[in-house]
Amino acid sequence: MNWLWILLALAIFVVLIFIYYYNRFVVLSNRIDNSLSQIDVQLKRRTDLIPNLIESVKGYAKHEKTVIKSVSDARKSLVSAKNTTDKLAADSLLEKALGKLFAIAEAYPDLKANTNFLELQRELSTTEDRIAYARQFYNDSILSYNNMCQSFPGSFFANLYGRKPKEHLKIAESERKNVKVDFKD
Amino acid sequence: MQKVDFNDQISRNNWKSFFLIFSIFIIFIALGYLISFAFAPGYFFLIMIISIIFSLTYIWLTYYNSGRIAVASVGAKPASHEKYKLYHDLVESLSIASGIPKPKLYVMESRQINAFASGRNPENAVICVTTGALEKLDKEELRGVLAHELGHVANYDIKYMTVATIMVGMIAIISEMFLHSLWFNGNGDNKNVFLIIVGVLLAILAPIVVNLIQLAISRRREYNADASAVKFTRYPRGLIGALKKIERENVFPEKKVSKAVAPLFFSNPLKNLTSTHPSIEKRIKALEKM
Repeated sequence: MNWLWILLALAIFVVLIFIYYYNRFVVLSNRIDNSLSQIDVQLKRRTDLIPNLIESVKGYAKHEKTVIKSVSDARKSLVSAKNTTDKLAADSLLEKALGKLFAIAEAYPDLKANTNFLELQRELSTTEDRIAYARQFYNDSILSYNNMCQSFPGSFFANLYGRKPKEHLKIAESERKNVKVDFKD
Repeated sequence: MQKVDFNDQISRNNWKSFFLIFSIFIIFIALGYLISFAFAPGYFFLIMIISIIFSLTYIWLTYYNSGRIAVASVGAKPASHEKYKLYHDLVESLSIASGIPKPKLYVMESRQINAFASGRNPENAVICVTTGALEKLDKEELRGVLAHELGHVANYDIKYMTVATIMVGMIAIISEMFLHSLWFNGNGDNKNVFLIIVGVLLAILAPIVVNLIQLAISRRREYNADASAVKFTRYPRGLIGALKKIERENVFPEKKVSKAVAPLFFSNPLKNLTSTHPSIEKRIKALEKM
């Protein structure tokens, strides 16, 4: 009779472990999806800010057509990009074009003093910050998910539930540091 | 440097909080028992029921309002979006980096560079910084300090530390209040003998409680929060800069902060506590190794 109870307790314990690992994988992979959508949210915010920026630049610096065009072209390629890797590549182009635009703005004191322009500049630089952090969190989430998939006993359950290791976002962290332009003081 | 397992720390904080809350419940029941034993043995059941209701209400109220109580106890005010843009921006991006919701932000009037986090979980967390920190720290230093506080939030340190400082600390405050009322309302009937005994017991209890809080909060949490801050910002220099500035600038103790809530702060706001905060040099050394 005692043996039955011990077997029952053991069976319940095993079932609980199976449930625990199943949930663990769900939580970790949801976190990855969530952080990916966070990147998209910030990129979307950025594309929404650009038209206003272009409008306010046009008001003061009409003649800088090439720079304005390069910004709006970069925005277009960001909007049309399909997956996150392409979007991030387009975003780094956009960041370069914006860097040029803000450098040129230095020559137009009226533009530089425009509160609307300053506000947009600030917003764009904070969204860039957030994209970098969202990407970092995405890669962190991938790392903890992959650690779970590849180390024992997680690997056993990963096979069982058909979970495979996922890829990190490719663009190097150093690249974003290079294109980051900060004109504050 | 030893590897920090944050999941372990979270479950440890949860268990310790539970244990602490349970102890508080037991202490209230024991107090009720003592009171009925001393004053009114005839009303034993009534007093016990009242003390159970009282202790559950107390625990419920302090637990669900812990963040608000901590903020109110230092006289902090909500940080408006318009006035404190950088503060909001930094916390927003850091909460993306840490994957936790953005806490409510408060500002506390003080010349010291300091900050604390409180609340029962990341969803109900608050972060408070001093006006001194906002004025004296540059962007990266402020980011480091805020990342440290978000580290406390993400590791559930806030839960345990808030339970310890607010729930237990309130007992110290209440016992002090009780003692005060004793000195002013003495009218010489014989029950006062018991009251004075209880008062003296509480007078002994209050500083012990404060000491217990300080014992219960280990320095390891500060090191771990520093490590989390580096994990979020990938930039230890900011936090190191902030610590160095604090060492230079925070010369005078902050009077508004009570001893019970002092352990919550980023750097020790009073000068006489050493058990809850590691020394700034040691923290800088640990950060430089990262």
